[in-house]
Amino acid sequence: MANPVRASLLVTCLVDLFYPEVGVAMVRLLRRLGVSVDFPSNQTCCGLPLFNSGYHQEAARVARRTVRLFAHSEHVVVPSGSCAWMVKKEYPGLLKDDPALGAQAEGLGSRTYELSQFIVKVLGAPDIATDFRGRVTYHDSCHLLRGLGESQSPRQLLRRLPGVELVELPGADQCCGFGGSFSVRLPDVSAAILKKKLENAEATGADCLVACDAGCLMQMSGGLSRKGSRVRAVHLAQVLAGSDSR
Amino acid sequence: MTTRAQFIQRVRGEMAKTPGLFAARSADRPQEPGALAETIRRQLAERWPAALARFSEEFERVGGVLYRVADMEEACATISRIARERSAQRVVTWATSVLGAELEPRLRAGGLEVAGETAGLPGEAERSRFRHASAQADIGVTGADLAVAETGSLVVLSGPGKARSASLLPPYHVAVFGKGALVESLEQVGVIFEALHRDPGTMSGASISFITGPSRTADIELTLTRGVHGPREVHAIFVESL
Amino acid sequence: MSVGELKVPFVERAHRALNDRFLQEALNTATTRFMTLRHEAFQAFPQGEALRERAREIKEATLQKLDFYLEQLADNVERLGGHVHWAATGDEARGIILRLAQERGVKLVVKSKSMATEEIELNEALEHAGITPVETDLGEYIIQLAREKPSHIIAPAIHKTKGQVAELFSRELKRPLAADPEVLTKVARGELREKFLQADMGITGANFAVADTGTVVLITNEGNGRLVTTLPRIHVALMGMEKVIPSMTDLMVFLSILPRSATGQKISSYVTLVRGPRRPGEMDGPEEFHLIVMDNGRSSQLAGTLREALYCLRCGACLNVCPVYRQIGGHAYGYTYSGPIGILLTAMLHGNHAVRDLAHASSLCGACQEACPVKIDIPRMLIELREHLDRERIAPLAERLIFKSFARVLTTPALYRVLGRLGRLLQRPFVKDGRLGALPVFLRGWTDHRDLPPVAERSFRERWRELER
Repeated sequence: MANPVRASLLVTCLVDLFYPEVGVAMVRLLRRLGVSVDFPSNQTCCGLPLFNSGYHQEAARVARRTVRLFAHSEHVVVPSGSCAWMVKKEYPGLLKDDPALGAQAEGLGSRTYELSQFIVKVLGAPDIATDFRGRVTYHDSCHLLRGLGESQSPRQLLRRLPGVELVELPGADQCCGFGGSFSVRLPDVSAAILKKKLENAEATGADCLVACDAGCLMQMSGGLSRKGSRVRAVHLAQVLAGSDSR
Repeated sequence: MTTRAQFIQRVRGEMAKTPGLFAARSADRPQEPGALAETIRRQLAERWPAALARFSEEFERVGGVLYRVADMEEACATISRIARERSAQRVVTWATSVLGAELEPRLRAGGLEVAGETAGLPGEAERSRFRHASAQADIGVTGADLAVAETGSLVVLSGPGKARSASLLPPYHVAVFGKGALVESLEQVGVIFEALHRDPGTMSGASISFITGPSRTADIELTLTRGVHGPREVHAIFVESL
Repeated sequence: MSVGELKVPFVERAHRALNDRFLQEALNTATTRFMTLRHEAFQAFPQGEALRERAREIKEATLQKLDFYLEQLADNVERLGGHVHWAATGDEARGIILRLAQERGVKLVVKSKSMATEEIELNEALEHAGITPVETDLGEYIIQLAREKPSHIIAPAIHKTKGQVAELFSRELKRPLAADPEVLTKVARGELREKFLQADMGITGANFAVADTGTVVLITNEGNGRLVTTLPRIHVALMGMEKVIPSMTDLMVFLSILPRSATGQKISSYVTLVRGPRRPGEMDGPEEFHLIVMDNGRSSQLAGTLREALYCLRCGACLNVCPVYRQIGGHAYGYTYSGPIGILLTAMLHGNHAVRDLAHASSLCGACQEACPVKIDIPRMLIELREHLDRERIAPLAERLIFKSFARVLTTPALYRVLGRLGRLLQRPFVKDGRLGALPVFLRGWTDHRDLPPVAERSFRERWRELER
């Protein structure tokens, strides 16, 4: 290929530390789709936990270095709707006191994509070959759905996989109860919200509960494993990459 | 004690501190609501059958019962029948000056006890008599100034001869209306209200009520129950000759 | 819930609600029902979306000329023969109502549902002065008898079973009553009808107040709003100053979206427009009309973080869709206004200290904003409120230190990497079957209910070296 699409991974702290296999799946998947992938190694976290808890000066410091780190990236791909939302929707505001940096943040925002959106909107929804098989259901993570207005791209990708049957999750658009520090501050409320989500997921008869956000994944897989459910929570990248993701 | 000037001063002071606000407008009001209301009325003189059909659908959806009759005589017979079916005896009505002179005698002829509102300036005794009659009545008979097709609402403007209690206190409310009352939408109601308020002479009462079906509540375990405070049944009689 | 219970921390109140099985069932049924009704109503109303935008803009436009509209409203109410009073605080509003009642020898007051009067705890004040207030909205009547606060803006007694209501009514009326909503409603009708006819004063709130006609608008399903404004000889309406709207044309926009958002109805059973006291020649209606315009903390947000909360129509849609409200119900919040918008209004009325914990009672999922008829950006304001808690040092010191150190870690990659490795080391005693099932200290709450994945043996950045090839 003459001019491959180039993408930098903003892998997010949760994927880096807890779900590296999601990052690996994303790399293998994107490479298979002809994307040239790089990983700016000094990245840490997008700062969303700080921002959401009200620590805005601190979040701005994180944003500042992230903007600089990805200053020359052609595209930035993020395996989490919430982190993509943070970069796209909140960085410009956080950095607006420094007009030059604010403008850079705007630029970064426009080049940043959540994974499913990147595949559909930038790569043009190519056919994806995966050996993943089974019945899946999809959970809309709140920031991807309401923050970025995206509900179709992930479903479109899943629906087109030959060995995958997508069944709709009742209440798919309702929160799983994660909410970052919310799940630590009010753990029992968070768990009560999760309970409904998991009951709905199990009722679909799906083998896998797919999400596009490592936060939701952490919450939902934690609940599923605790209750010994046969349903597994997986990231969209893992479905699309199949056994490549090990 | 806070005075108006102090209150407004404080509001103004805070308003002055607001940083860049987005451009916002309130709703576009009709320039000449009177003329526009007239246009709506003219159009409805043609379109009223469709409006009545929609009204009927919506009114019944909210639990109302609609009758279509030729004239006041038939309307009175309908009221008498409604009363008979419910073993109702006592009727309170708006004034004959509003509902027409034939109503009261016809209802009486049908065997009902009728307490009609009298026109003119009611004194304390008259008020108290009417209030008592309304509280005791089984059926309240009123007109309707507007019938809104979009929502199935009856709109009543209070005024001399148009007591509020008649549509409120008795367990059964019967409203009589003609095609001139029909409007299609709340938006049109807005135009008509703008026109009414523009011309202070047109509104002789202090209250306007939208009545959309019977009084209802679902405050105990979400169980829908009718007639909690207002009427438990609302009947509307469309009179072709009106 | 009495105010004294605020001494119980929010976390504990929420915990109690979660363990109340009836409450859980009632909340789930009610909020799901309201949510579905709202959803269906807007699906069948394609112009709804545009009207919501319109409504939002009207609210903003009104706030931008609030001084003008308030004066116009006052002029018109007075022109119609009403009296206008100005209350800078809740205290002052209570004082005005008490004075009006006492000067006129009022003994019995009937009220239609009003969050504004709840906000100033008017009933307690009236009782204290020897005046009997009777709530006439069935739900409000129930909670008044039970001496509780509303648990939902539009369905104040959803937390009560019919059995509890029957018990309450039986005790109050000293005769045994069946636990049948139909029967209980009929009994309430009889009781309250007497009160309506005897009362000297009717007190209402105002869903809207139309500036250029001087009209106070009341929306009810039961019809009590009409009775309260028809039978007693004095009508007093208490309105939050943000309830003013410019014109009748604007009103029609709100009439289309408020009932749909609240109960899924195209319009509520009764919409009552009050234009001052009764006119000469009218058979009924009050002799006197008083409008009290109340500030009580609202003006301080005109230029503040919570400005948009002043758009609120009190429809309750955000409560019904809020995953937190759906679990804990209204009482756990501890203040008059509950749910996501309630947190903002509580901050507005009681200051930021009051929401130290409440500000975090949201997963920021955004469902509230999506459901709001005027699209109030509640999540954003919650985040900004949290920012104030840090800036004003209201947030606990330990929390602030943790987040500030966390920021240090995130801006120092070497430190971030070291901590990742440290976590891997420290978690060893706790990893079982590849997951963390029971962690100590602040993560205990999490692992009490669900597992946590362990920090991976090799982080993504460590694996990247081989992926890079």
